[in-house]
Amino acid sequence: MLKVDIQSAPSVATLHCSGRLVLGVEAETLRCLTTSRTERHVLLDLSRVQIVDAAGLGLLVELHLWAHKRSARLSIASRSLPAHRLLAMTGLDRVLHLVGLPAEAGVESRCGEWQIMTA
Amino acid sequence: MQRTRPPVKQQHLSREFVITGNVAALGPARDAIMDFVRQHCTGEQQEIDVMVAVQEALANAILHGCRNDAAKLVHCTVEISPSAIEFTIRDPGPGFDSGGVTDAIEDGTNLTQHGRGICLIRGVMDELTYRHNGAELYMKKEIVGKSE
Repeated sequence: MLKVDIQSAPSVATLHCSGRLVLGVEAETLRCLTTSRTERHVLLDLSRVQIVDAAGLGLLVELHLWAHKRSARLSIASRSLPAHRLLAMTGLDRVLHLVGLPAEAGVESRCGEWQIMTA
Repeated sequence: MQRTRPPVKQQHLSREFVITGNVAALGPARDAIMDFVRQHCTGEQQEIDVMVAVQEALANAILHGCRNDAAKLVHCTVEISPSAIEFTIRDPGPGFDSGGVTDAIEDGTNLTQHGRGICLIRGVMDELTYRHNGAELYMKKEIVGKSE
C-alpha cells in the first residue's frame, strides 16, 4: 500500500509518501499524482517509504525526466534508510536531486492545502 | 531506529508457493512469502533486504517469464535452515542470457525506466544464480555470519 499526503502551496507541491513504492497500483498512483501537478517545484518526500523496487526506481527516473522536460524541479527527500540505500545501490543518488528533509528543498512545512490519497 | 532480534532456532523448513503469472498476484504472494520467512530474519534491515529481493524476483518472473498472463504459473520454493534463507523461483518462460546483464546501471548512467532489478537483488542478497537458461533464479540470504 502507498499513502500519499499532498501539500500544495503556490509554487511547490509536496507529496509525502508512506508505505511501499512498488510495481503495480502504487507506482501508477504516484505517477498520476505527480504528473498532474502544475507547480514549478515538486518534492517527493520518501522519508516514510519502507521499500522501493526497480519499478519504483524507474518511476523516479521517469519523473525526474518529466520535470526536466517542463523546466520544473523534482526533489526527493529520501531520509529513510531503505529508500536512500536502494538509490545509492543503483547509482541514482548521483543523478536525482536528493534532499534530506522537505525544509532543505525550500518547502515551508506549515503552509498550503492538504489532500490524502491511498493506493 | 533499527530493531534487532535473535534468529528463531529451528530445523530445516521448506515451503512451495505457486503464484499466478499476473501483476495483481505479486503483492499477495510477496506478503505470503514474507509471512513465512519474517521471523527467521535477524533484524529489520535483513527483512527489508529479503522483501526487496522477493519483490524483484517475482516481478521479473511475472513480467518476463509469464508476460503478465494469469494462466501461467510461477513456482517459488523457500528453504530455511539455521544458517540461511534460500529461494528458488522458476517461471515458464524461455529464460534470458544472464551473462548479458551488466552492472552499468551502478554508475547512475541508466536513465531508462528499466534494468535495475537484478542489480537490486545482487545488492541485498548474499548469493544470486541463474539456472535453466535464466528461467530459474536461486538466491540466498545468510542468517548468521554476515555483518549488517
